[in-house]
Amino acid sequence: MKERRSSPFMLSETQAALVLLLPFFAVYFCFLVYPFVQGLWISLHDWNLLKVAFNPSAKEFVGLENYRRLFWGRDVEWHPLHRPVPQGLGFLMLALVGWGWLRWRREVLFVAVVMAGILIVGWGFHLGEDGRWFDRRFWPTVARTVTFVALTVPSIVIISLLLAAALNQRTRTMAVLRTLFFVSQVLSVTVVTLIWQIMFSPRQGLIANVFEGLSLEPLTWLTNEHLAMPALVITTVWWSIGIAVMLFLAGLQDINPEIYEASEMDGATAVQSFFLITIPNIGTTLLLVSVLQIVLHFQVFGQSHLMTGGGPNDETQVLVRYIYQTAFRDSEMGRASAMAMTLFVIIGLFSVLQFLLGRGRQ
Amino acid sequence: MRRSNQFWLIILLSVPAFIWSIPTLWMLSLSFQPNDVLARTTSSTGLGLIPFPFTFENYWALISYGKTPQWFLNSLLVAGGMTLGVLVVSTTAGFALARLKFPYKRIVIFVCLLGLMIPEQAVFLPLYIMFADFGWHNSLPSLILPRIAVPIGVFLMMQFFRGTPKEIIEAAKMEGAGWLQVFWHIMLPLSRPAITTLAILTFLYAWNDYLWPLVSAQRPEVFTVTLGLASLQSNFAQSEGLGRIMASGVTASLPIVILFLIFQRHVVQALSLGGSKG
Repeated sequence: MKERRSSPFMLSETQAALVLLLPFFAVYFCFLVYPFVQGLWISLHDWNLLKVAFNPSAKEFVGLENYRRLFWGRDVEWHPLHRPVPQGLGFLMLALVGWGWLRWRREVLFVAVVMAGILIVGWGFHLGEDGRWFDRRFWPTVARTVTFVALTVPSIVIISLLLAAALNQRTRTMAVLRTLFFVSQVLSVTVVTLIWQIMFSPRQGLIANVFEGLSLEPLTWLTNEHLAMPALVITTVWWSIGIAVMLFLAGLQDINPEIYEASEMDGATAVQSFFLITIPNIGTTLLLVSVLQIVLHFQVFGQSHLMTGGGPNDETQVLVRYIYQTAFRDSEMGRASAMAMTLFVIIGLFSVLQFLLGRGRQ
Repeated sequence: MRRSNQFWLIILLSVPAFIWSIPTLWMLSLSFQPNDVLARTTSSTGLGLIPFPFTFENYWALISYGKTPQWFLNSLLVAGGMTLGVLVVSTTAGFALARLKFPYKRIVIFVCLLGLMIPEQAVFLPLYIMFADFGWHNSLPSLILPRIAVPIGVFLMMQFFRGTPKEIIEAAKMEGAGWLQVFWHIMLPLSRPAITTLAILTFLYAWNDYLWPLVSAQRPEVFTVTLGLASLQSNFAQSEGLGRIMASGVTASLPIVILFLIFQRHVVQALSLGGSKG
């Protein structure tokens, strides 16, 4: 074997690494890191989109004023038992954590402590006698986003877990059924909202047609204060069940099939083996899917923007849509950036959790 | 006993599977019905799920006038460009992070990892200002560039390259090959499955991207189908007719649904990988 002489132009290992890393880090810093830092910077300014566009010095440094005007109000008070039910739940969770400290997994404890903290601190704030929030729409918007997530994620998790348990067989029929449940996931948000906007339409919608067939009064889903949010939830569940089903199926593959066979020999019914074998063995996947879905649906925008326009009466206004409006309709970049940073912190908490869970699984 | 259980399970599952498919089938069926019929009723035959009376008129109209063909082309260019960009930066950086030794490597990986935590919504406002300052808005590259900077592809490729045998690289180095040659001639051909997976995921993501195109593209000439469809929705049923909008919806979904059906296994694998690895 003839040994080739290395050419003088040959790169050393470090040089090669530099060359190979350069393209990624160039775009990474230009289009992710720098904008993120810039976003933080903007959130500390009184920054009007149009004025600054014409005159770059038209911005004013205001420190944390944007955040104060979002979160705070006049005459805000805090009491440990202002809302006894959610706050009591928080204290109960803390007690449970204290009691079960050594037995639970660390990630579970982390979630429990953070959730308890949010429940206790968050629900303790309220307005005094003649107080008012500086931004009347911010907290209601956060609450509606949380409501959306709280309705969507458990529905997705429960439905997809049941489906996955039923679909967990390597036959051709099951593969076809799996595909049917998954296909809606690859549609774009605009196609999904297009379909469901018309599905829900009281005049032309399929649901209205079914109601008329049963001689019932068609519902005005998207313009009714009580039905608009459920309509968005139905749409979202229909849209995003696919990934959850697939993740659960992957998790179910890890369960030894002999356990099921043994339990079937012992005369266990399908329902019994679901609760006694499937659920206990799929804990990590369950947590992972939940966190993944929470992160995903906190960023909800298209459904609200396209189907209801945040209405009726702000009933479906969500955080990202409020950011979008504040920035591009009201031109208040500073305040919008402060909201975006708030969203980042919320999502960031869950992303860290997702990462921890993913590592725990390996 | 077992066999009959199986039978009932399939019957039991067919009901939700059918209900799940109804919205998509309905869109498909409406897109094949004449607009004047749809203006009167959307449930002419079998709740409107059977396309009768049947017509291709909506699709002809879509192709002959309206902006959908242009949007479709834009989507192909944007999704294709983004996929290419992501592949280039992810394979190179992924290989370097997985197989090369260099100073401060742990810190570099950690910096990449931090990027995973930044959601699109936290950067789209400053990006908007930045692109406006440069006058880059309303162009196809401006729809592509910011979306190339996603670290998830780098992590997917890094994970993959870590699983490849070290001996191949050592053998090639013995032969006197440089690192870039090792990457180009050995690692890239090896990583075809991982590249396919990443490419499909990126394409899906790019095709369906909505928030950034919404703020960056204001002129209809640079809309993607996803965005164009949103602009049709805001005045839907009045101007163009329900059938045509549904035809646009079907057209907009066709490439990704086909792509998904062909590469189903890759997509599913990648999603479960992405799910567990964050």
